[in-house]
Amino acid sequence: CRFLTIALCDAAEPWQLGSQDAATPMMQGIIDLHHDIFFFLILILVFVSRMLVRALWHFNEQTNPIPQRIVHGTTIEIIRTIFPSVIPLFIAIPSFALLYSMDGVLVDPAITIKAIGHQWRASTQPYEYSDYNSSDEQSLTFDSYTIPEDDPELGQSRLLEVDNRVVVPAKTHLRMIVTPADVPHSWAVPSSGVKCDAVPGRSNLTSISVQREGVYYGQCSEICGTNHAFTPIVVEAVTLKDYADWVSNQLILQTN
Amino acid sequence: MAAEGKAPSLAEEYSLPSQEVQLQNPSEEKSAVSTVAEVVPEKSVETAPANEATVAVEETSQTPEVKEPSDEPEAEESSAAEESGEAAEESSDAAEEAADEKPEIKIETAPADFRFPTTNQTRHCFTRYIEYHRCVAAKGEGAPECEKFAKYYRSLCPSEWIERWNEQRENGTFPGPL
Repeated sequence: CRFLTIALCDAAEPWQLGSQDAATPMMQGIIDLHHDIFFFLILILVFVSRMLVRALWHFNEQTNPIPQRIVHGTTIEIIRTIFPSVIPLFIAIPSFALLYSMDGVLVDPAITIKAIGHQWRASTQPYEYSDYNSSDEQSLTFDSYTIPEDDPELGQSRLLEVDNRVVVPAKTHLRMIVTPADVPHSWAVPSSGVKCDAVPGRSNLTSISVQREGVYYGQCSEICGTNHAFTPIVVEAVTLKDYADWVSNQLILQTN
Repeated sequence: MAAEGKAPSLAEEYSLPSQEVQLQNPSEEKSAVSTVAEVVPEKSVETAPANEATVAVEETSQTPEVKEPSDEPEAEESSAAEESGEAAEESSDAAEEAADEKPEIKIETAPADFRFPTTNQTRHCFTRYIEYHRCVAAKGEGAPECEKFAKYYRSLCPSEWIERWNEQRENGTFPGPL
């Protein structure tokens, strides 16, 4: 985020104006699209303000007291109809391409993770890893509570750190199933370019593939109740081997 | 092991490795198993696998001190004696017993289904649940060919839903065609 820093930024920082650094191809695509659109946006801004300023400058009561009586000009009318419709077309092409590539539901994922929004007590996001179950009851689940405001240790982000992070393997296709248990929530991680609404009675899917190891921060992005502001999401991407180790350790912890 | 030798270039970082396709493709399950098989014995050979694991995690997360509290409440919850900091030392003796009971982690999940190409996966989960129970009804309890459906629906359905549906089936109020 900052100029000339080498470390990549995966959490929000004070007075941040730009996006967080991309951790997935999806987010990279979003940032690129944003920059592409800004190219057109600046062109239009300059052109329109030039017209506006010029019109105000030349055609006011002092400099030009008698208004001209032009009722139509075919050429200018054609140009100013065609051009504004072509510009959105140029913006729409990369935009739709990105939109549909983000919707890549039909890629076989390697891991399914369920994020289940809860409002109960302090808002929380319990997670379920059920790929390793052998029965309905036994399942790798854990709650992910925010670290209270007076509790964070040095280096932790206030109201952004949780006790149990979601551990995911990097460079692996993940299927996130997002659903709430009570009210609507939204599972969002800006660095991954993911924001998936959790709608009661419905399970939504979003697929991500984190490209580098790191810790990624996000927050619940749907006003979900009194403790909405205290619903952080922390994703920790590790290597596949470390992920396997973590899962087996968690399974041992939970069975004991 | 965390960095895997060299730091990849930006282009490499954003391109998916071809080796990853093996893991995703459920038809190539065996290759996934074999990679796991490599992982597991390696663990039993070394005396402190948990030690190695925690070190690796500390390497990957940029701030090691941040990692610590993330583990502590887990330990409290499960009332297990292991605490993240001491987990390394403690589990070195727990490792011997853990090594043989360490569950094998097979990286596989329900495949993408062409019947459900949308973001809304509610039906996907429900259908897999019904498929499993129809399979059991047809082939009998514990039929090996039904197990995959069980894995699929467990991967896709929130456990709360499964609990509720199981209850409904017991009461005979399950709304689906079984």
